[in-house]
Amino acid sequence: MMDEQKLKKIAQKTLALTNADEAEVVLFVANRGLTRFANSQIHQNVSLEDLGLSVRVAFGKRIGVASGNSFQGVVLQNVVNRAEAIARLQKEDPHFRGLPEARKLPKIKSVVIQAAPQERAQNVSAVIKKAKEKKIIASGAYDSSVTEVAVANSKGVWAYHAAGASDLSTILIGENSTGFGSQLVKNPADMRADDVADKALAKVISGQNPKDIEPGEYDVVLESQAVNEMMSFFAWLGPNSRLYYEQASPFSGKLGEKVLGENITIIDSPLDESGFPMPFDFEGVPKQKTEIIKQGKLVNLTYDSYHAGRFNAKNTGHALPAPNTSGPIPLHLAFEPGTKSLEEMIKGVKRGLLVTRLWYVRFLNPRSLSITGMTRDGTFLIENGEIVHGVRNLRFNQSIPEALNNVVEIGRDLESVGSFETELGTNRMPALHIKNWNFTSGTQF
Amino acid sequence: MKRQAKKVLSFVPSGVYADVRVIEREAEGIATKDGVVEAAESSSSHGYGVRILKDGVWGFAGSNDFSNDGYERTVKRALEIAESSVPYATVKTVLAPAKKVIASYKTEVGKDPFSISLEDKLELLLEADKKQRVSPKIVISQTSYHAHKEKKVFASTEGSLIDQEIIWCGAGIEASASMGNDFQNRSYPNSHGGQFQTRGWELVREMNLPGNAQRVGEEAVALLTAEQCPSGEFDLILDSNQLALQVHESAGHPTELDRALGYEASYAGTSFMTPDKLGKLAYGSKIVNITADATLPGGLGTFGYDDEGVSAQRVFLVKNGVFVDYLTSRETVEELRRTNPGYAPNSNGAMRASSWSHIPLIRMTNVNLEPHFAEGSAGQAWSLDSLINDTGNGIFMSTNKSWSIDDRRLNFQFGTEIAWEIKNGKRGRMFKNPTYQGMTPEFWNSCDAICGKDEWTIWGTPNCGKGQPSQVMYAGHGTSPARFRKVKVGVIKKW
Repeated sequence: MMDEQKLKKIAQKTLALTNADEAEVVLFVANRGLTRFANSQIHQNVSLEDLGLSVRVAFGKRIGVASGNSFQGVVLQNVVNRAEAIARLQKEDPHFRGLPEARKLPKIKSVVIQAAPQERAQNVSAVIKKAKEKKIIASGAYDSSVTEVAVANSKGVWAYHAAGASDLSTILIGENSTGFGSQLVKNPADMRADDVADKALAKVISGQNPKDIEPGEYDVVLESQAVNEMMSFFAWLGPNSRLYYEQASPFSGKLGEKVLGENITIIDSPLDESGFPMPFDFEGVPKQKTEIIKQGKLVNLTYDSYHAGRFNAKNTGHALPAPNTSGPIPLHLAFEPGTKSLEEMIKGVKRGLLVTRLWYVRFLNPRSLSITGMTRDGTFLIENGEIVHGVRNLRFNQSIPEALNNVVEIGRDLESVGSFETELGTNRMPALHIKNWNFTSGTQF
Repeated sequence: MKRQAKKVLSFVPSGVYADVRVIEREAEGIATKDGVVEAAESSSSHGYGVRILKDGVWGFAGSNDFSNDGYERTVKRALEIAESSVPYATVKTVLAPAKKVIASYKTEVGKDPFSISLEDKLELLLEADKKQRVSPKIVISQTSYHAHKEKKVFASTEGSLIDQEIIWCGAGIEASASMGNDFQNRSYPNSHGGQFQTRGWELVREMNLPGNAQRVGEEAVALLTAEQCPSGEFDLILDSNQLALQVHESAGHPTELDRALGYEASYAGTSFMTPDKLGKLAYGSKIVNITADATLPGGLGTFGYDDEGVSAQRVFLVKNGVFVDYLTSRETVEELRRTNPGYAPNSNGAMRASSWSHIPLIRMTNVNLEPHFAEGSAGQAWSLDSLINDTGNGIFMSTNKSWSIDDRRLNFQFGTEIAWEIKNGKRGRMFKNPTYQGMTPEFWNSCDAICGKDEWTIWGTPNCGKGQPSQVMYAGHGTSPARFRKVKVGVIKKW
């Protein structure tokens, strides 16, 4: 940890080094500890202190970006020099309307605590012990980090945020089945390793001796982890204003129209303190609650300063670190929850599949927001509202908008879930009961 | 840097194994879109990572603090981490023996890409960007370029001291066309950013991006009105750029020994190629030979020494269709020999870390489908044309668009940007939205023809993800077009 005042001084010092018309500096400090386990033993235990700065300068509409990983004066100067050199040689970007002005930032409570190596090892050991009692192999990771992000620009923006996150996940491996459990918490004292192990153990035990099932269209109950893996792709292409206007989004030209089922309301909720809040984006613009889908209608797109200027819209505070060629992407998606627990949702399925996780999800066709991927670590047949047995994993090919037009039930419990596609943010996802989910082939386990 | 590495090791207590990597990295990237330079970026990173093996347990810490206090604190942290895990260790890690190496290595490049002016780079990319816009139906024209220079010193308590400089670069173009609800992409020389090799600016020049831009734009537009790729079982020829990713996913990853031993179970998955199948599994047909070759000039996975100080090597992973070896490290070799005592006693040098702040993992080097020399028509190696001619009726697919494979690397599905019907031995109609699906060993056993060296290209994959924290690594794949019989094609009914 460096603290706000130290980072502010570094930011001011950096901005003073440039003669550019406009300049922005983003500072990043991370302390990360990670304990990995496999074959029921800890095999990797690492600690990382890292910091970085990124400088964006503009001479008129000519922009350059450079970055480095030290806050020493000579490095600050070097990074500024490189950014300026690039900007001077750059072509003008006609769509650049300048860096954002300073605005008042929302206040949020931060929890800035990192689990110590011994604490990580104890939690991991608890999972391994529970698995061993059932003669099951444990693998997984306990990742605990504290991160500081600060943004300053020559127009007076100053934004600072520090936060901690601790994430324990496990995959337990039985003779012919696997099970997944995880927990993501702000304070490592809230970590419940036994619960994580129990959840995964229940999956691996009830999934023993999985049976083949014919691919085809099924009702599915996607658990929150699986929903998050799907929605990471929705976040990328759904409300992204850049892709919307490039005609690359499935919703292009449909702002204000019904695009999903009427039971679907999706918001970006960056200030929700039950999740992992973030008060500003990577341009220091205040974040706010943004309704994206309201009762099935596409009501808002997401913007950063560049795309808000280009498309004459209000900046919604969705900038990613510069230079961003992906467009403005929501990082804190949440569904409006339903009323039923996961168990009650399963009871509502006549014949279908319970899916714990999705794996290796990739776009098939961005324009229809179609994805492919596999199920993983706990897939079960449901008949007449009861879990009957585990099934071997299946490949799906599925349009996300089609799935979100086929939602029968939305779970009442929102879970904070991060995934490798959304390392910059954390979504709050429910379980979903979806009809006519399209499985096209199976595998051997 | 050597002095810094030695200084770090001086804080390591005697009686434990430790190694340190000191790394200075520079990278630059440019992206253009619709004639506008969207990103021009330069980045640098400098730091060191210390790995300590104490009482059979690893500890690792990374830092960019190059003061004596910083060295001491980082070593102490790595030691504390190892010690905190000792009470929970059930198996002690043992390293396979490795030679003490004192050496230097440098990538051979013609023109250092960092010495070329930004103006020259922008001029080339913007020309290629403009030439893709052949029709109002082109809604996006893009180009990109990346270069990477890494200087690193490896030093170990076993006495090794190695310095290396690795340079790679690459570029590519991509046109997107839209009409109604249809949206089609075409890229060159490959998708996902283009082609990358451990070569200099001469590679980018040789690609002739502007000279191929018009064709790329025209093909993207033509795809809008092309027929949908049919569904069914077809004889399939895969272009070398698609085969590179097929090799990566279905041969490279499952032969990583850490995966096969279960060490990536919690994230990237495991492997169906388990140690009991070593030397026995009929992975492919007899013509399938897959090598891991870190010595291949120009390959993106080429280096002098891995991040354990083991020299670059060429090994067969699959020989005459049989699974014969893994990509290995010192630790995993030792573990494998417990169940496979006849296995070679030394690592084949596949450990690399994506930065100073990450621990080395087993990563693909250049994992290649070896070309064939005399199996084609009339004792000559197959060319792509002669292979198409020999095939009669089938489908030819090129350039990856989507990819997915299960967590043991069996069930895969790929989509490509473009395909052509093969009819009466000739390339015919263009097809859009091609996909194919299969199971790894069945698929490779259906391979009955591989083109020769003239068609062989070493493709670069600069974005391979693995590990926790996630590490992005660069690897190479030499491939020439090959034919697979009776493959399930067109598995997607609704687009």
